[in-house]
Amino acid sequence: MNLKRLGRAVGLLAALTLASPAATHAEDIVRIASAYRTTTLDPALSAAAGNIETYGQLYGRLIRRAADGSLEPGLAESWAVSDDGKTVTLKIRDAKFSDGSPITADDVVFSLLRVRDLKESAYSAPLQQLAEAKAGDAQTVILTLKSAFAPFVGNLEVFNTGIVSKKDVETRGEAAFTTTPVTSGPYVVKEWRPNDRLILAANPHYWREGYPKNDGAELIEVVDDNTRVTMMIAGELDAARGVPWSQVADLKGRDGISMPLEPSTVIFMTLLNHSRAPFNDLKVRQAAAHAIDTVAVTKAMTFGYAATANTTLPGAVDFHDKDNPGLGYDVEDAKKLLKESSYDGKPATILITDSAESERLAVLLQAQWAVIGLNAKIEKVDGGVWWERVPGADYDAAPTWWYNETPDPDLAVRWALCGTCGSESYYTKYNNAKVDELTETAARELDPVKRGALYKEIQTISTEEVAQIPLYYPPYANAYGNRIKGLMMTPSLQWTLEETEVVQP
Amino acid sequence: MSRIPAIGLRLVQLLPVLIGITIVTFLLVKLSPGDPVRLMLGDRATEETVAAVRAQLGFDLPLWKQYLSYAGNLLQGDLGQSIRYRLPVLDLILGVMPRTLFLATYVLVLSIPATVILSVVAARHAGKPVDQIIRILSVIGMTIPVFWLGIMLARFLGVELGLFPVSGYGDGFIDHLHHLFLPALSTSVWLVPMLVRNLRASILEQMEADYVVASRAKGLPARYIFGRHILPNSLLPTLNLLGVMIAFLIGGSVIVEIVYAVPGLGGLMIEAVLARDYTVIQGLTLFYALGTVIVTLSVDLISTWIDPRVQL
Amino acid sequence: MSHLGLSTAVPRARSRGSIEISIGGSLLSAWLFLAIFGPSILGVDPNQIDLVAILQPPHADHWLGTDQLGRDALARILMGARIDILMSVLGVLPPLIIGVVVGLVSGYFGGWIDSILMRLVDITVAFPFLVLVIAIVGMLGPGLDNFFVALALVGWVSYARLIRARGLVLREAEFIQAARGLGYPPLYILFRHVMPKALSPIAVYAMSDAVMVMLAGASLGFVGLGVQPPTPEWGVMIADGQPFVTMGWWICLFPGMAAASLGLGFLLLSDGLAGRLGVRK
Repeated sequence: MNLKRLGRAVGLLAALTLASPAATHAEDIVRIASAYRTTTLDPALSAAAGNIETYGQLYGRLIRRAADGSLEPGLAESWAVSDDGKTVTLKIRDAKFSDGSPITADDVVFSLLRVRDLKESAYSAPLQQLAEAKAGDAQTVILTLKSAFAPFVGNLEVFNTGIVSKKDVETRGEAAFTTTPVTSGPYVVKEWRPNDRLILAANPHYWREGYPKNDGAELIEVVDDNTRVTMMIAGELDAARGVPWSQVADLKGRDGISMPLEPSTVIFMTLLNHSRAPFNDLKVRQAAAHAIDTVAVTKAMTFGYAATANTTLPGAVDFHDKDNPGLGYDVEDAKKLLKESSYDGKPATILITDSAESERLAVLLQAQWAVIGLNAKIEKVDGGVWWERVPGADYDAAPTWWYNETPDPDLAVRWALCGTCGSESYYTKYNNAKVDELTETAARELDPVKRGALYKEIQTISTEEVAQIPLYYPPYANAYGNRIKGLMMTPSLQWTLEETEVVQP
Repeated sequence: MSRIPAIGLRLVQLLPVLIGITIVTFLLVKLSPGDPVRLMLGDRATEETVAAVRAQLGFDLPLWKQYLSYAGNLLQGDLGQSIRYRLPVLDLILGVMPRTLFLATYVLVLSIPATVILSVVAARHAGKPVDQIIRILSVIGMTIPVFWLGIMLARFLGVELGLFPVSGYGDGFIDHLHHLFLPALSTSVWLVPMLVRNLRASILEQMEADYVVASRAKGLPARYIFGRHILPNSLLPTLNLLGVMIAFLIGGSVIVEIVYAVPGLGGLMIEAVLARDYTVIQGLTLFYALGTVIVTLSVDLISTWIDPRVQL
Repeated sequence: MSHLGLSTAVPRARSRGSIEISIGGSLLSAWLFLAIFGPSILGVDPNQIDLVAILQPPHADHWLGTDQLGRDALARILMGARIDILMSVLGVLPPLIIGVVVGLVSGYFGGWIDSILMRLVDITVAFPFLVLVIAIVGMLGPGLDNFFVALALVGWVSYARLIRARGLVLREAEFIQAARGLGYPPLYILFRHVMPKALSPIAVYAMSDAVMVMLAGASLGFVGLGVQPPTPEWGVMIADGQPFVTMGWWICLFPGMAAASLGLGFLLLSDGLAGRLGVRK
């Protein structure tokens, strides 16, 4: 492009006056931008996006998940599950923390119990089935479960089960996590600039020989979507998380940038409040669901890059029922159902946060519900208020998204569909005793085929009863530059940073 | 003439203002809905966890007790710990402050010469096409939303022409200049018109002042009158405006900071508000207040230096 | 912040002021006309989504194209004129009234009342304008009503300062001294004699303040705290259209032009008024 050449020439001039930008990338540093911030380095304290990605780079877990989704050894070089499914014995490999001290069974027990028991632990659900953890010898950990629990070993791969140094945490206390924690994963913290970026350096004591394949990484926090895209095009980044759908085509068409659109366990849906009118009436919920042209909504929201959702579970979790026909778009049926229902014409409140995406979704819902005579008004609040009102069931509908941290659907069901599992079906107060019972049965069932059937039943019931209105399953819209190779995001929100090579320094 | 007592008096008057500011911010953040704990813990924390953390942070105490303990720490120079980051508020603020200050200074360095030149040209050709062109450009500059302009400049000057980095702060002085050029330019596009409107008007006003007419009648050269009398006298009101603008720049470059990914004070404030990070909001507000006072005081001092008739 | 800079202009030939007033005035009247009658003349629902017609460039059916939800851009801009004009009026008037009252009282009575009120001004000024507005809107919740509350809480300072300065000068003016000598009550003097004399810089400033209010509204839209959807507001239309600029040039351009022309109207009127009223600093 001529313009570009002209620009380079002028740029050279400018460079003469302003001096050249320092060549800061002499080392093989991978630069990743995301809108989500690192707010704490303590794996027990948060389950918010941003921290989830960071934990994976700092704290090694007992189990790793291979690219194909199967489980492979992590800090545990082997494990065995007893015949009754209630005891898991793990053999810890000969590995070291970033300060050079050995990782022992004591550290493992300490780390797991910390997540399970710490008062401030943000997400103890993955370890709720753990009855007792003890060290057999220095390299052996014996975990006893309350009952047989199929997803348990997989849960040892969840983001907050990384191993921390018992000695470090006990001596430094909270301060152990505020600047430079002792880590067991591929990286150590070189510098944390809160509200800006986290600078990682390779952990010289990392147990995987030859990893990480780079010298370090910068996790840069860039809140504006457009800015991330501009930075990506300008070559100031190696990867950008969350490219707006409207710019995917543009980025795909550019040299040196690829957008593989990796599968995710993200599901966009709208919560419905089952504890008050109008959505406490099954017929209103069904009418509301039939009124939405989910195919058109998917296309309008994501320019066709996402798959239309058919059940209440994310499309990428195991046992997702691909054959479920979903609720379907049928305006006449919706009108009929609404007429038969108890709906009195009072407007329902669609509660959204201040994100552009949820705003557009809300407008779409409002418009499509208006067609069948279901009135709604949109109320936009900021995240702080949203998280107060949704758990308090002070809303009628709330379009939003969630993701599952494991391919196993157990945590997903407990989070979004189980009425007695703490979150009361993602605060919708949807409560079906049969679903709750199936949740427990499925978790204890060790035969995959039988488990599949149970989860299918859960999806059938909750979709028909419109626990929530599923909308679409988006892939990750991450952009990658060709300066690096091997970086991707796993369905459980982890970067494969340690596998990443810088090919064009 | 001794200005020391006057400055001293100004500083004493500052005290009730600062107390007022702490109370206002404290109430503002405490009485607003929204829970920092929930935002901090993430989506899946249980209600019990949320309650436990709230108690640990002392949020279940009566409001006045919370304020007193806050004010007490403040007196000892302790701004407290960020609720969200569990790091000292002072560190968070000092960590980003240099960027904001650098950016604000940069903006001034770009804006002041541009303002003086454009205003003088416009005023000397008042009513002529040059003047009208400057006026129309000013209006456009003032009405373009900064975020739109920012993205356009980044895409054109940054990406298409490859002249400047589109993000970040850089390392070292020269690198800062290079990285912050687009943010500074985007801000100046909005600031210069504001100042030009003001300065042009005061120059015109001075040009018709009696003493100028008299000097002209005495036969003093026009250039001398302009450089010696009109310009210095016109600068005073603009200087005051500039003071207000600097205070504004310290916090108000938020949008530019977001667009160019240069995390500064403004961005920290917005984030803190959205995350209900009370301690950070309070700490920042105090910083802003101090900053504003320092700036206004400096402007007043410079004013007395330019025109000794001005009183502090 | 107080944006005193806008309140300036040429205290000169009245004829020039007239040209500015007429151009500015006609721009504003044109927008006022479009805001009142435009939507019904066009007869298109600004909130009607059309998922098969998203992001269409301007053509016969949609003169200014469609947005990311297939809504007609022209209909939204016309309806947005109502919102933006309302915003500039309601965003300016309450702070103006509060500021005038505070400023008059402070400047006229002086003494401890003045001290207290001016400390209040200092407190408010200490918060950066945009950040304080964002903070208040963030806490009260996004939406027009809270936006007005935030502006009223923040914006009065500039007016108070402007008018206090006038009040201080006028207090010593001969005709006021005379009125006092005649035994008129202070409040009577204040509102009957002082206020009218002090109002002209206020009127001029208010015009340019209106532009600032519109820009503040747009900035709020950018950080996600703008008007409640689906209300069409120009600033929010620009902000929401941002991710789509690479797919269509018309999305941000037209609302941007609308905002610029209304802003131009306010600013010209401000200049013209300043010329006519002979406002001095």
